[in-house]
Amino acid sequence: MFLQQLLNGLTTGSVYALIALGYTMIYGILGLINFAQGEIYMCGAFVAVLLLATGKVNFYLAFAAGMVAAALLGVALERVAFRPLRGAHPLVPLISAIGASIFLQSLALLLFGPNDRPFPIQFTFSTITVAGLPLSTLQGAILAAALGLMGLLMVFVRYTRYGKAIVACALDRDTARLMGINVDRMVALTFFIGSALSGAAGVMMAIYYNATYPRMGLLPGLKAFSAAILGGVGNIPGAILGGLLLGVAESLGAAYVSSGYKDAIAFAILIGVLLLRPQGILKGRGD
Amino acid sequence: MAAYLLHLAILAGIYIILAVSLNLIIGYAGQVSLGHAAFYGIGAYASALAALHWHFPFPLAALGAMLVTGGCGLALGLPTLRLKEDYLAIVTLGFGVIVDLVFLNLEVTGGPDGLVGIPSPRLLGLSFRPQPLYLLLVILAVFLVLGFTYLLVRSYHGRALRAIRDHETTAQVMGINTPAYKIVIFSLAAALAGLAGSLYAHYITFINPESFGLHTSILILCMVVLGGMGSIIGSVLGAIALAVLPEMLRQFQAYQDLIYGALLVALLIWRPEGLLGRGKLSLKFLTRG
Repeated sequence: MFLQQLLNGLTTGSVYALIALGYTMIYGILGLINFAQGEIYMCGAFVAVLLLATGKVNFYLAFAAGMVAAALLGVALERVAFRPLRGAHPLVPLISAIGASIFLQSLALLLFGPNDRPFPIQFTFSTITVAGLPLSTLQGAILAAALGLMGLLMVFVRYTRYGKAIVACALDRDTARLMGINVDRMVALTFFIGSALSGAAGVMMAIYYNATYPRMGLLPGLKAFSAAILGGVGNIPGAILGGLLLGVAESLGAAYVSSGYKDAIAFAILIGVLLLRPQGILKGRGD
Repeated sequence: MAAYLLHLAILAGIYIILAVSLNLIIGYAGQVSLGHAAFYGIGAYASALAALHWHFPFPLAALGAMLVTGGCGLALGLPTLRLKEDYLAIVTLGFGVIVDLVFLNLEVTGGPDGLVGIPSPRLLGLSFRPQPLYLLLVILAVFLVLGFTYLLVRSYHGRALRAIRDHETTAQVMGINTPAYKIVIFSLAAALAGLAGSLYAHYITFINPESFGLHTSILILCMVVLGGMGSIIGSVLGAIALAVLPEMLRQFQAYQDLIYGALLVALLIWRPEGLLGRGKLSLKFLTRG
């Protein structure tokens, strides 16, 4: 029972971690919170579900299309709601992102209606026992895919030219510009990658919960933000750690404390972290 | 028709209190709150419960509601307002979600059905049930709030707040305790939202969680941005405009949130000082250059 809950927590936690990476990367480079991250996640899920519902594409193509669509939406969002406001008081892009988030959510509501959509294709998943632990292959696949994407991101950031350029921009934008790095392009790239990860998270959750709907991004967005703060905002390993911890805490809390207030657990953790250790577990760049 | 106009005027008055109080947070504490509707809701529920269960007279119920929401503001502001400006927005968004959850799950708040039969205010044997009298009560409250805000902004503390608004570090160097000021302003604004909630509850006499969701918080935010952040008179005009316009454009109701979202982005890009703001009380530093 305990191990089962732990596993459930790790599965949702790995999805929170993927979204938290988007928050943390964008925060790292711009010092801003992208309020519409949850809507990007929703967009990824919708594109994959709608494509699969046509019956003409296979699953992997739809998954990739969801990620690409989410990434493009992220880049467009940066162009429309963030870039014209760079240099203004931080309040201004924050409100603008809130506006964008509401806009996208209600656009989805108008286009797709308020009802849940089931995932169009059925997977046959079995439960296998790994070291005495009942593991559903669906959970295993989600965990593996999420951890794989995180691993790819870490390699990209640490070992490629573009990854290093993003880190340089996050450390000091002006110096990076002096070194010949095209900062605008790196910001766009950051939005592209962060949003693609959120899009992937959206598709995974659409399969896991078998439901896709316009407001699906609100709570995971909020929880992923809490995860990013928990791990230390601006810190990439921190976001992963924060996401996994939050998922486990939520799952155990729902099982042993109260399931009615499951969604409040992430919030309680957020307040607790802000009170006791605002820089997060691994030191982030938040004050 | 006259009854309908009176109804609109009463709602507009309540929204003015909400918009002006949110503007104190945005324009003077330099923070965004996405939980203003939650404070509004807590005020409405607290006041209604006080009147229903303990038969509090209206002024006492309203005062109690303000104390409760002010206290919630304090509890929420303490951990977040010492930090960067973005945190409050997310924390208040989460707060809104939790408050909604609590309203829906608690027995005392009536769950999704809400509370019914909230008594109309009675003062000195006079019932304020008729709309014209209730409008007078709301107008009185609006003038009290506006007068208080005006005096606050012009006082020593107002100058301190403006110093924080214009340049926080300098204000700190001058010996102003900036986190304390922000926390006090935030909890004061929460208390004013509680007053608005109390006025709403005793007017409508029936409340449920639906009226106090994120949608309402966004609406209030739109009123402030439309009127101009930091401009008190702008918030008054913004509140009137957005309280009345949707009623006149009923056939576009499905597009309401879409329009609010686009409006926020467009205003901030092209007119960050707001459509109606005169600029006198506006935040000059919010505009570029």
